[in-house]
Amino acid sequence: MLKIKTTISIGLLAWLLAFSSQAQSGCGGKITGRILDKETHEPIPAATIRVLNSDLGVVADEEGRFILNKVCGSEADFEVRFLGYKTLIHRHYFNNKEHVDKGHAIYLAPNETELQSVVVEGEVLVGDIKSMSVNQLGRAQLATKTTQSLASAISGIEGVAFTSVGSNVQLPVIHGLYGNRILIINNGVKHGFQNWGAEHAPEIDITAAHKISVLKGASGVRYGPEALGGVVVMEGNPLKLSHKLYGGISTGYETNGRGYFTNAHLGAGGKKFSYHFGANYRRIGDRSTPNYLLWNTGMEELSANAGLRYKLPKWDFKARYSYVDQKPGLLRPSVARSIALFSQMVEASKPILMRNFSYHIDEPNQETNHHLATLKVDWASGFGDFRLLVSQQINNRKEFDVRRNAELPIINLTLSTTDNKLEWYHPEKGGLEGSIGLQYFSQNNDNNPGTNVIPFIPNYNNYRYSLFAIEQLESGSNTFELGIRLDHEELSARGRTQSQKIFRNKFSYTNLTGTLGLLRRLSPHWEWRTNIGTAWRTPNMAELYSFGQHGFRIEYGLWRYYGSEKGDINTDKILTGKDKAVKAEKSIKWTNELSYEKDNNKLTITGYANYINHFIFLRPAGLGAFFWGPGPTYIFDQSDAILMGADFTYSNRLSENLKGTLGASYLYSRNVERNEPLINQPPLQANAEFAWNTPVFGGLNLSKLSLKTSYTFRQFQAPRTITPEELISNKVQVNLNSEIFDFKDAPKAYFLANLIWEWSRGKIGGQVQVRNLFNASYRDYLNQMRLFADEPGRNFILTLNYCF
Amino acid sequence: MKIEMMKKVKLHLMAALAATFLFVTACGGDDDAPDKENVVEIFTDVTLIFTNKAKASDVVKVTAKDPDGTGAKPLEVKGAINLTAGAIYTLTYEIKNALDPKDIEDLGKEILEEADEHQLFYAFTEGAFTSPAGNGNIDKASDPINYKDKDKKNYPLGLKTEWTAGAARTGGTFRVKLQHQPDLKTATSGSTDGDTDFDLTFTLNIKSSN
Repeated sequence: MLKIKTTISIGLLAWLLAFSSQAQSGCGGKITGRILDKETHEPIPAATIRVLNSDLGVVADEEGRFILNKVCGSEADFEVRFLGYKTLIHRHYFNNKEHVDKGHAIYLAPNETELQSVVVEGEVLVGDIKSMSVNQLGRAQLATKTTQSLASAISGIEGVAFTSVGSNVQLPVIHGLYGNRILIINNGVKHGFQNWGAEHAPEIDITAAHKISVLKGASGVRYGPEALGGVVVMEGNPLKLSHKLYGGISTGYETNGRGYFTNAHLGAGGKKFSYHFGANYRRIGDRSTPNYLLWNTGMEELSANAGLRYKLPKWDFKARYSYVDQKPGLLRPSVARSIALFSQMVEASKPILMRNFSYHIDEPNQETNHHLATLKVDWASGFGDFRLLVSQQINNRKEFDVRRNAELPIINLTLSTTDNKLEWYHPEKGGLEGSIGLQYFSQNNDNNPGTNVIPFIPNYNNYRYSLFAIEQLESGSNTFELGIRLDHEELSARGRTQSQKIFRNKFSYTNLTGTLGLLRRLSPHWEWRTNIGTAWRTPNMAELYSFGQHGFRIEYGLWRYYGSEKGDINTDKILTGKDKAVKAEKSIKWTNELSYEKDNNKLTITGYANYINHFIFLRPAGLGAFFWGPGPTYIFDQSDAILMGADFTYSNRLSENLKGTLGASYLYSRNVERNEPLINQPPLQANAEFAWNTPVFGGLNLSKLSLKTSYTFRQFQAPRTITPEELISNKVQVNLNSEIFDFKDAPKAYFLANLIWEWSRGKIGGQVQVRNLFNASYRDYLNQMRLFADEPGRNFILTLNYCF
Repeated sequence: MKIEMMKKVKLHLMAALAATFLFVTACGGDDDAPDKENVVEIFTDVTLIFTNKAKASDVVKVTAKDPDGTGAKPLEVKGAINLTAGAIYTLTYEIKNALDPKDIEDLGKEILEEADEHQLFYAFTEGAFTSPAGNGNIDKASDPINYKDKDKKNYPLGLKTEWTAGAARTGGTFRVKLQHQPDLKTATSGSTDGDTDFDLTFTLNIKSSN
């Protein structure tokens, strides 16, 4: 039992819905619950639940949940059955206070295992950080998002948005923070990529994901530095044992951009061995807004993944490999090396450059590929469970720009990442559960020669050594949590100055982070989670060392400029920590979540406050005189910032087949040191969603229609606007001391609607989606391309899949 | 006894786990700096060379310099163009990146190689030259300039042009603008198409010929 419990607690974040029921006399009894795979804790959709000796029966939904209504008598035997699993029969007592108050979750054991299917009494929460606000997307939800990026797929979650550079490069934003303030965990390890600048999206293909969890608190203790805003955890195929050959093929077409994709996966599990393969290919051409074509917004993507598992009674080995190759195009009419051209582009109501539709990807564009190999070993020893995770990643990134020698990449980097972790989950003692871990993380970044430009960021290495411990104590209706982590990071950078002289620097950071949390079950239906956590990150190399032209901007990293007494910028030397102390960014985030769940209603309110010390950001600092004319210079700067906000969701099963969800999220943010707004923060958003399981027809066994609508307000906290024209004509002057500004007003509010019809008939299924149903012309404040062009217009997406 | 064995085995396994962790942790990185690059994007020196066609020793040179390239030091435009009324000049260029004094890049050659993506446009005080007449083609691309070179599509480039100085004057202006026009250069493209590589304005003085 202990073993099962500890196995359960390893690395899983499945939330189990309370199994609640109401005492009834006559035929008004109600049973609700959730059905999960005992091995993987994944929901089992479409399992059948039948009350014995009656006609009553239902099928579990895609999250494994079910409701049985109108059950007669004071007790009832019900049977849970699903192909490939051991059938379970359970007696439910409507009058048993235990069952009514505490609720249950149903675990079905796969056939061919020694495990038995069980009903676990009491609400079961599995996972690590219980006091944290967590949202998940399972396989079924991800299936409707095959053509989306990771960031776009999770942006439906309250408090999560995405920031982008066009339609192909998208980064998740959690509670206003993005980029290297969000940690992306891919199969247990930090995704090692060029995580700087908004134009670098994680090279992750969501078709390889089995589950994506979003942790909205500062979970730096378990996952490591950079988790200032939150963590996105992506898990691959669970590599089930005792599972006969399974697989699927899926293909689709979308009208906007004439995109198409095909993916396939195959796997099987024996008693000891299990394997899985998957691959995906996607191509899309130039997309269109309702009124014009967006030149060079196509993309090509290829990905493949494989997993192998070997299980012994006490040992569990999992090896995984994944490969992602992406070629995103970026909007051509966004390229301006001079502010004069930039001004023309910003002022024009639509792009000043157009072409006819093409799949061809020209400059500006990126070519990236990412290899990830991991080996995970779990050992259930007599004195707790050990987990070893060893991983290696190689990330190659080339960026091409419109320039002389455009065929040469302007950025050409190879980044290798090692992330190794050893954890010990000690046996439970007196309600105390926890783990202690060691982590070693290192990166080596090299500029590949032949770009004909001085590298924008230097070659660098970092080595991080970490020690962490997390403990949980169950006591009555409370769960207390305490976590602590010590990191030491050594960095070395080697770059070249403008005159090609080599510079070198070595420096280090040490930091202690902690988390303290409480989960309190206030009543059978109400829960309160509160978590206060710290997180930190070292300034990245781009923030320290970037130098020179980046688009129409000239950027200087923190160690590449200093101010004179008059406020002028000087860039004639390369600084070190002795000249200018650049502190690590540190945050303290307090998250509170109140949730209510009863029968058909579910309410979650999350409030948070995040105070960030030494927040690093890029800001305009003046107008320089260059060969191509006047140009805005930007500097990286440090300041203290605060981000506070709230997320709200309420869902109600209006009837057995109709579910409605309302949501909203609001964020207030401010640079408290300079007392000015922060730029590019998500605006207030509200959404409403209806999902209707329609009556089935034509032999279908599922037909579900969902309408998702959202209203995004204008960002009224945006910085003031100074048009490029006002800068060029010197009407407005800026210097190191001036208030932050943007080149264009925040876009107007907009309403969007997406319609999705999902169906299945036996092994065949599919979706018909209409995104941007009303063909709205709008601009997204978090898309940098909003300065130049509208977002894509209406898009029909057809997908077809076959699973066995 | 059996329990002792088990304990031993367990200890060994644990040691093996720890050893694996340390082993995979031990691989270090290199200490290399990025390789030297041929920087052909950044201008630090642009020199305009007016050579009198009738008298090769009569050479007028003016220079614009930005010795730290994209650094914060501003661009400096030095000297005035002093021409002689009535003389015919050929205007050529020296365009360089001299950020690394030991390795000066000739960017004029680069521009010539990609002539079909570039064009130089001119603007000057109205009537400063008898040929070309007018005020140059920055405001209107079809205005006359005596281009003496062409790209492979037969469109003008402008690294070599011809000028006949007009009547004596002081304090006139002479502006030259190099546009980079990849996929955009056509028979009618003008000085606002594409991106600007350099845009320099000099003082123009013309002294009388006697």
